[in-house]
Order: sequence, then C-alpha cells, then structure tokens
Amino acid sequence: MRQQTRILTLLMGALLSGAMVWAQAAAPPAAPPAAAPPAAAAPATPAAVPITDLDLKGVEAPKAEARAKGDPDGALTGTVSDIAVGDAKKGLTIGDVVNQVGQNKIAINFVWTLIAAFMVMFMQAGFAIVETGLCRAKNANHTMMMNFMVYGTGMLAYWLIGFTLQMGGVGAVGNLGGSPVLNSEFAVTLFGKTFGLWGQNGYLLMHNGTYDVTVMVIFLFQMVFMDTTLTIVTGSAAERWKFSAFLASSFVMGAFIYPLFANWAWGGGWLANLGGNFGLGKGYVDFAGSGVVHSVGGLSALAMAIIVGPRIGKFDRNGKPFAMPGHDITLVLTGCFILAFGWFGFNPGSTLGASGNGNLRIGSVAVNTMLAGMGGGFTAMFYMWFRYGKPDASMSGNGLLAGLVAITSPCGFVNPVASVVIGLIAGILVCVSVEFFERVMKIDDPVGAISVHGVNGLFGVICVGLFSDGKSNYGGSWNGVSGSVTGLFYGDAGQLVAQLIGVSTLIGFVFVFSFVFYLLIDVTIGQRSKAEDELAGLDIPEMGALAYPEFEIKTSAMRAGSGD
Amino acid sequence: MVLGLLIVLSGFLLSILSLGFASGVGARMGMTLAGIAVSLFGIVGVLNPAYNKNAIWKK
Repeated sequence: MRQQTRILTLLMGALLSGAMVWAQAAAPPAAPPAAAPPAAAAPATPAAVPITDLDLKGVEAPKAEARAKGDPDGALTGTVSDIAVGDAKKGLTIGDVVNQVGQNKIAINFVWTLIAAFMVMFMQAGFAIVETGLCRAKNANHTMMMNFMVYGTGMLAYWLIGFTLQMGGVGAVGNLGGSPVLNSEFAVTLFGKTFGLWGQNGYLLMHNGTYDVTVMVIFLFQMVFMDTTLTIVTGSAAERWKFSAFLASSFVMGAFIYPLFANWAWGGGWLANLGGNFGLGKGYVDFAGSGVVHSVGGLSALAMAIIVGPRIGKFDRNGKPFAMPGHDITLVLTGCFILAFGWFGFNPGSTLGASGNGNLRIGSVAVNTMLAGMGGGFTAMFYMWFRYGKPDASMSGNGLLAGLVAITSPCGFVNPVASVVIGLIAGILVCVSVEFFERVMKIDDPVGAISVHGVNGLFGVICVGLFSDGKSNYGGSWNGVSGSVTGLFYGDAGQLVAQLIGVSTLIGFVFVFSFVFYLLIDVTIGQRSKAEDELAGLDIPEMGALAYPEFEIKTSAMRAGSGD
Repeated sequence: MVLGLLIVLSGFLLSILSLGFASGVGARMGMTLAGIAVSLFGIVGVLNPAYNKNAIWKK
C-alpha cells in the first residue's frame, strides 16, 4: 500500500512537471511590456495575505535607550514611530499607514515642484546677466534694473489677475493632491464644442477656497514661468526702452497676454482640448513651454522691437546693419550656464511631481534637456566658425539656449536621439534667424531674444508633433485623451495638426494681442526713450546712476592725462 | 499698420475655421499651414515694412 502510494505520488509529480514544461513550451513568447497589461505578463504569485491592524502591533519602534545613544548609521531614524496615529486609543492602524503613504507621495511631489520652481526663479539672474553682458556698458544699470524689476512687476500682475485667468479653471491636479478649487472656466461654444477661454477662480489666492496648499504650489511654479516670459521682452527692447513704459508693458503682459495663451494650453482651455473635441492627437501639447513661455515671450519681443524701433546707429541710411558688441562676454556665458542649470527645474519640474503617474520619466526629461542644449551650442558655434571665421562666443551661448528652448515642449515625449537632432537644428536655426531679422527685416534685437525664444519656441512646438515617440505615459492619458503623445514620425498626423494650430495661434493671435497692448502704451506713455538719452546711455537719464562709475572715472582720467 | 495687424489676425482665424469647416487631418493641416503663411506675410510683408517707412535710420 505504501509502495502504491509512492508510485502514485511519483506519477502525479511527473504528470505535473510534464504539464508545466508543456505549458511553458506552448506559451507564446512574452509580449513587450507596453503591449500587454502588467497583470497578464506577471508570473503567478502567491495569494496576497491581508495585513490587519493586529500585524502592525508587532512592528516595534526603536527603543528609547538605543535612540539615546544617537543614530550614526540612520537605522533608527524614520520608523514606525514617525507615522501619525489618528486615534491614540486604537493605536496604529492600516488607515494610518495608507494615509502616510498618500501624504508621502504628495510631499515628494510638492518638494520636487517647489525646488524646480526655485531653480526657475534663479534663471532671472541668468537672463539679467546675459542681457546686460550683451548690451553696452553705458546701459548696464538700466538693463539690470529692467531684469530685476520685471520679477516683482510680473509677480504683482500675476497675483492680482494673471493666475486666475490662467489656472482658475484647470481643475484638479492629481500629482499635487487633486484639490478641486480651481474649477471655474469661462467658455463659449463654437462648431458645437466648448472653447475654454479663461479661468475665473483664484483672485489674490483667497477667492472661492483657493487659500489652499496645492494652489500655492501651482501658483509659485506657474508664476516663475510667467516671469521668464516677461524677461524675454527686455532683451529685444534693451538700450532704448523707457523705464516707465517697460513697467506698464510688463504689468500688462503678466496680467493678460501670458495668462491667456497659458490658459488655452495649460489651464484647460480650447487648445488643450483639441484632442477631445476634434480628435487631433492629445490636443495641443506643450510639456514645459516652448510655446507658452518662449514663443509668447519671443513674439511679444518681436512686437515690441517693431514698435520701439532699432537703436540709433544700428543701421546706416541704406539699411546696412552694424555690429554693436556687448560689453562683457564673461557675463554672457556665465548667464548661459545659469540658465542651463535652471532649465533642469524648468523641464523636469514640469511633471509637477516625481512620484506616481509615470513621473519617473523625469530622468529622461533631464537628459533630453541637456542633450538638446549641447547640440544647439555645437551647431551654432560651427555655423559661426565656418561662416565668419571664428567660433563666436555670444552666438554659441545663444545656440545653447536655442537648443534648450526647442526641447522645452518635446522633452517629455521624445527619445535622446531626437533630442540631439532637435538641438542641432535649433543651433543652426538661431543663427539664420538672427541674420534674417537683422538683414531682411531691419529689426534690432540686441540679444537675439526673438530668434532664441520666438523662432525656436515655435520650432519646439512643431517638434512635439513630429518626434514624440509614444513611449511616455503620464498616468495613461494627456489632456484627457487616453494613450501617449505620438508625433507624425511615429504615426499620428493629428498631433502635428494640433501643434500647428498652436503655432498659428501664437503668431496670429498672441503677436497681435501683445502688439495692440504695447501700441496703446506707446501712444499714452511712449515706449522709446529720448534720442539724447539713448546716445548718452540710459544709466544716468533713466536710472540716475552708472553701473560702473569707477570705469567712467578711470576713462576720464585717462582722457585728461592724454590731453584730450 | 492696421492692415498688417488684420492680415496677421486673419491667418489665425483661418486656422480656427479649419476646425469647423474641414474634417480630415489633411484638410485641416492644409488650412492651418495656409493660416500660418498668411500671418507670417502680415508681419514680414506688411506690418514691418509699414514701420520701416519711418525708421530712425532713414532720417
């Protein structure tokens, strides 16, 4: 009997083993992870054992005697004793643990987004010294002051009006806790679809429940982006922009021009819903703002440069341009480095989180960002070297920035090779564009802001519609449309159409909108400084002080010594 | 100048109209590209030359 049982057991074992071998051999090859749901691809796992509150009682907190000796290796810090207990009578429960996990996720995302925002804020310093270095020494104080005060002016306008218009109807942002208070969007119906135009909740960060921790994080992050846009215009109008007109123009831009387009793209407005409403890809997609930030800034800079006109001496009577070199290339390239550093806040920070919803792609976003910047710097340097005989420093810096601007939209959706290609093209594009605006259009842009931000911003928006490879997955959808953002080269022509409609909106609407506002200020205040002030340098007439007083004294002394 | 602004704006309107009056991706892309071209013509060909007529370097 015992022997029979042993034989039966052996037979059953052999049958089971054979069945398992057959099943493995007959099973189709493992599908790629993206094609099969994770549950189907995962091997069979033992049945889950539910954890109860009782199990948590067995988790011991570090003993007081052990803690009293310090914790040099960190093993006693951050344990069960750090989890907040909801009800002291019940002790630690599963509910407490789950709540802690949720709060940890949101805390990670808050900290990530805030640190990214602080880095973007520091880009103001980069812009300030790039622009000042590219201007002449006699305008250094004026240029620095514009870059300094644009921060506060834009912030005030955005706090009072702009934030509400942009984000007042965005709805819940899941990565930041899903607060539902930004929930009112003014919309019209067109072609049978809803077109969101501007938000209505959030005035002064107090209106309708918007005194809220999530809203504060969203405000801070969006505010520094807005300020980046404003500081682009100070570059194109540098060395002849009246300071009072600059203040008024910046306020208008922070309150109305930037927020309106930003609402359409990021605040739940009509461009974002082109996918849901008209089947165009995932709607207009702009990951970190090639369009929202850089094109809006660059096209407004173009409008301002046309209105304010070129500097005295930039063109001769026949329209031939003359170079007006900046006074400090050291500042320019140091500023470019600061901007490149800040861009790691700009682009990876635009996930608005590091935990959950596919946000681990932040590594890819950061690498794409740095690769595109490298590409842009290289091609701009070589373009200038081959064309003019020397590797021009300021254009190499602009090439780096152009690559960064161009990758800002697509950085979350493309692969590293595409990022390099985008950067390489951007570096050439900025050089050609600078020549076009100067020689063909006779537009004076002292720092190349229109080409770096405007032209390459538009290029970046188009790149989303071309190079997005469909591999990203931020929670399974984008702009409310399921699936990954996929460009023309990977099979979705509709995405390219959505991007082109965004480009058309930027050129056809944002440019006109900003032009009209700036024109009104030109008629009332006057955008351009007096000719005699411009010739003397704006530091004394506009600011009352020179940026480099010793430099001036030394020059005077040298003149006196030489008998001039 | 006003004419230039109107032309630039009309390019944008052409793109918007593509959403209502064209259904295929190709047709929408065509209308949108045409809209972009119209807007660029308005800036480069009309608005800027109007400003350059009285440019400071011509005086």
